[in-house]
Amino acid sequence: MNISGWIFACLSWGAIIGLLIFCIKRLLKNNKKQDE
Amino acid sequence: MRQHWGSRIGMILAVAGSALGLGNFLRFPVQAAKYGGGAFMIPYFIALLLLGIPLMWVEWTLGRYGGGFGHSTAPGIFHNIGNKRRFIRYFGVIGIFGPLVIFIYYTYIESWLLAYSFFALSGKYMAATTEGAMKSFLSGFQGLEQNQFFHNIGTAYFFFIITFCLNVLVIYYGIKGGIERLCKFAMPLLLVFALIILIRVITLGTPNPEMAEWSIKNGFGFLWNPDFSALLNAKTWLAAAGQIFFTLSVGIGAILTYASYLKKRDDVVLSGLTAVGTNEFAEIILGGSIIIPMAFAVFGPYEIKNIAESGAFNLGFVTMPLIFEKIPAGAVFGFLWFALLFLAGVTSSVSLAQPAVAFMEDEFDISRPKAAMIFGIAAFFMCQPAIFGLGYGVVDELDFWGGTFSLVLFGTIEVILFAWVFGMDRAWEEIHQGAELRVPKIYKFIIKYVTPVFLLVILVSWFMQDGLPTILMKNIPQENRTVVLVLRLMLAAIFIGISLGVWAAWRKRGRRAGKEILS
Repeated sequence: MNISGWIFACLSWGAIIGLLIFCIKRLLKNNKKQDE
Repeated sequence: MRQHWGSRIGMILAVAGSALGLGNFLRFPVQAAKYGGGAFMIPYFIALLLLGIPLMWVEWTLGRYGGGFGHSTAPGIFHNIGNKRRFIRYFGVIGIFGPLVIFIYYTYIESWLLAYSFFALSGKYMAATTEGAMKSFLSGFQGLEQNQFFHNIGTAYFFFIITFCLNVLVIYYGIKGGIERLCKFAMPLLLVFALIILIRVITLGTPNPEMAEWSIKNGFGFLWNPDFSALLNAKTWLAAAGQIFFTLSVGIGAILTYASYLKKRDDVVLSGLTAVGTNEFAEIILGGSIIIPMAFAVFGPYEIKNIAESGAFNLGFVTMPLIFEKIPAGAVFGFLWFALLFLAGVTSSVSLAQPAVAFMEDEFDISRPKAAMIFGIAAFFMCQPAIFGLGYGVVDELDFWGGTFSLVLFGTIEVILFAWVFGMDRAWEEIHQGAELRVPKIYKFIIKYVTPVFLLVILVSWFMQDGLPTILMKNIPQENRTVVLVLRLMLAAIFIGISLGVWAAWRKRGRRAGKEILS
């Protein structure tokens, strides 16, 4: 795997993991608010 | 009393389950490897932002809006957003016809996955050690030939009956007791299975020490090393847009139905985005890391090109069993692989069945158990051509009308109705009812102009490239044409039947309204 391959893989993985973490964090935060 | 989801997480998992299917684990890696590797991700992410995410929001919003009027399917939803104009509800027929047609063949393919997970554990396919033998194993199983592995279609039919009954049973128990319960169990299990296989793939290193180049690392390179010249090819952009469209299960009508069971003030923005994120996690991170790197490490750089070209089906049912024969504890990993695909399949197929069942419930006041039984009996007979006509191209034909043509057409219609007939200002307000996240304002422009144009481009170019030749039977061998023609007549009868159902439902509604006024 060359350097550009690593860059594309890491960026793609990072974007998706970032999106998922953002969504889950917001869901948990909003659920907590509703519980209160 | 109208059904509702029991929990928000259940709803998100159900929508993600509907989207997550064979496409994530088989189609995506093949498409990426074929169209520029890492460079494929540029048009892929652009399509995700301009097509996938907006369409997901559109479907969630339309579904919730329709649910407020007691409609779970496209005819009723379109009737309400189209200011009750008579003809608009008939566009919604595609939103019941499409998923029903996909269900007819998808359930059968799903049953192969269940069968193969048993074959992996029992070691039945281990007797086929070459590509030719494995293809023969598959053909024997499908009843296309008699060979040393299978004498008839009996085994395949047995697994089909189990899979079919499981689907009907889930539908019978309804949204909360059936679909939500299934997805809450199947989705985490599926992700665990995929993670176990992923760890196995990463730790595989160089399975054949004599071939130092045949490594997992180079396998990842085969998938991810970018070929920027592919970006100059229009086919790459179309393939990326098509992949986004098909992977998210938008344009089918299933998400519309699922979202109709939301309450008026339930959020759709964050929930829809989470469903997209879950699907993309399964596709890019899990799907992209299993099949291609594994096939590269086991078969090497020359064979992998042929494997990638041979298509997703061959990869799933021929290449993967051969790979599992060659790695330590292959029986267990083979079982996990096929079980994970089966779980992905079953969470999708129940969502395909739901629009037809919901249509009977909502528009004809048929009880859920009764509607599930009627659907079960009708769909069972409809599935038979897919089983016994496999060798005549029946599944390809069903996939063309249900899984491709209806999808792109319905997606285009619903986004145009949403942005232009319902009106973008009303639509924007509706999206944000109970929203836990503001949609960036640029999406008002994207949903109104960019997404419909993007979809029209896909529709027209697909129609010219594949659609027209298939409709004119140019790609269909002469000996299969009679069977395909009979099948088309059957599909036309189903389409007309649903249209008559819509006509009868609104006639009944009109009469009831008339009686109420008189009394």
